[in-house]
Amino acid sequence: MTAPSERNLLIAVDASENSGKAVDYVGRLLGGVGGDFHITLLHLILEPDADYFPSEEEHRIWIDEKLEESVRLLEGYKNVLITYGFDADRIRVFTPIRFCPSVSECILEQKDILEYGTIVVGRKGLSPKEEILLGSVSSRLVKLAKNCTVWVVNA
Amino acid sequence: MESLPLMSHNIPSQESLRELCSPWLASLSPQHVFRIYTDTSDFYAIEYGDILLLDHRLYLVRHNAKEGRFGLDDEVKFWVKRVIDLQDGVTRITKLVFFERFTATIGGIPFECYRSPRKEARILDLVKGHPNFMQGFWVTDDKDNVVRILDVIYGQSLAAMIADIHLDHETYFYQRLPDILDHYIECVEAIAFLHRHGEKHGDIRRDHILIDHDSGRYRWIDFDYNFLHRENMFGYDLFGLGNVLMYLVGKGDILTKEVRENHPTAFQRLYAEDVNIVFNNRVANLRKIFPYIPKPLNDILLRFSKGSSVFYDDIDPFLTDLREARAFFQQPENERTSP
Repeated sequence: MTAPSERNLLIAVDASENSGKAVDYVGRLLGGVGGDFHITLLHLILEPDADYFPSEEEHRIWIDEKLEESVRLLEGYKNVLITYGFDADRIRVFTPIRFCPSVSECILEQKDILEYGTIVVGRKGLSPKEEILLGSVSSRLVKLAKNCTVWVVNA
Repeated sequence: MESLPLMSHNIPSQESLRELCSPWLASLSPQHVFRIYTDTSDFYAIEYGDILLLDHRLYLVRHNAKEGRFGLDDEVKFWVKRVIDLQDGVTRITKLVFFERFTATIGGIPFECYRSPRKEARILDLVKGHPNFMQGFWVTDDKDNVVRILDVIYGQSLAAMIADIHLDHETYFYQRLPDILDHYIECVEAIAFLHRHGEKHGDIRRDHILIDHDSGRYRWIDFDYNFLHRENMFGYDLFGLGNVLMYLVGKGDILTKEVRENHPTAFQRLYAEDVNIVFNNRVANLRKIFPYIPKPLNDILLRFSKGSSVFYDDIDPFLTDLREARAFFQQPENERTSP
């Protein structure tokens, strides 16, 4: 038996190819198998410090553009899952705008709000210098996640 | 020093300004007309002999600051001006708001960078009284520009200090480096303090540490750089700290080209993975050149080398390793055996 929360999958995505592969993987694995799976497609819009914008107007325009991009992105991923046999009403899309000191920590915050049992992310395959300068979301998620499973899908 | 009691927009007369400024304006003509700025947006227009009126306080503008590095001619920073605080006669530095956004490429990785006056102002508040940071305060002008007013630190940069040491490496290593490392560890602790408070320095370089001539302390300057970070907002700070450490341990950058010419035997022992992870012309595995470098210290450098698969993603383990490596120097000389 699995707890209900274990059937709640949180797929954290961005516009990268590896995110697309993570969505595709979940679709291929679980699409059409029945069960009580609920999927949330999470796209964090990473908000910079206020100083990034010379004016409030530019800030507003930036948010509008990012929201528009996000809606298009998530709609595309949702359609992929539907194609694999998921019911549309079991797929939720979510686009919070956050200042995230760490993306993985922001993802884990969302996980705690709705009690997801599984988090799915794509793995970028960073080079060592990218890892030292930028940090790896998937590595840190695996390190920090508690009381949930993390699936890291290799791109 | 007399000061004028100023209410908001209470503009002093030319005569009173002339009297107040007289000790510093010998080169100006008696007919000089003081231009008074309460809005600093157009910083290019603000020149020598002008007056800034900020938060009821008058500042006489002297000249623009300059910054130079790597032998390039000094670049004039028009938004950074030396001023005389006419309330106490002290020389200070004002940093005016300069919006700048650009993409910097580091090791082939693009970073979207920008100047952030508010970040620097926040950090100035946070580090008030901290001996390892520049000190100052901030005010807003009539257009809500965040103007930072900084104390001048008299002293040379860490880079200049190291360049001025004329000792062979081994003598430097045993006689000077232990003390330099103590100061450097204080600087790392200062950055750890920022990180604990959710702030990054943003531009850690060896010329952003000044050695205070009065106190002898090493002090961080210039925290207004910011960039859009990805997973680890402190990764670039940590990388910068690693580079500074490499510079200190090597007594300068140890370039592969120079090793080939000056240490041909050591050069034959160098592998591709022994260089800096980003700056591939700098040697990170310095123990191959200077075998008396203890392994614990060299192991830290290797974390920043091309061959590393383990990185510091947090400043605390870096500090712990540094302190352990430093402890090696406290052992009596006859007990020091490099592990």
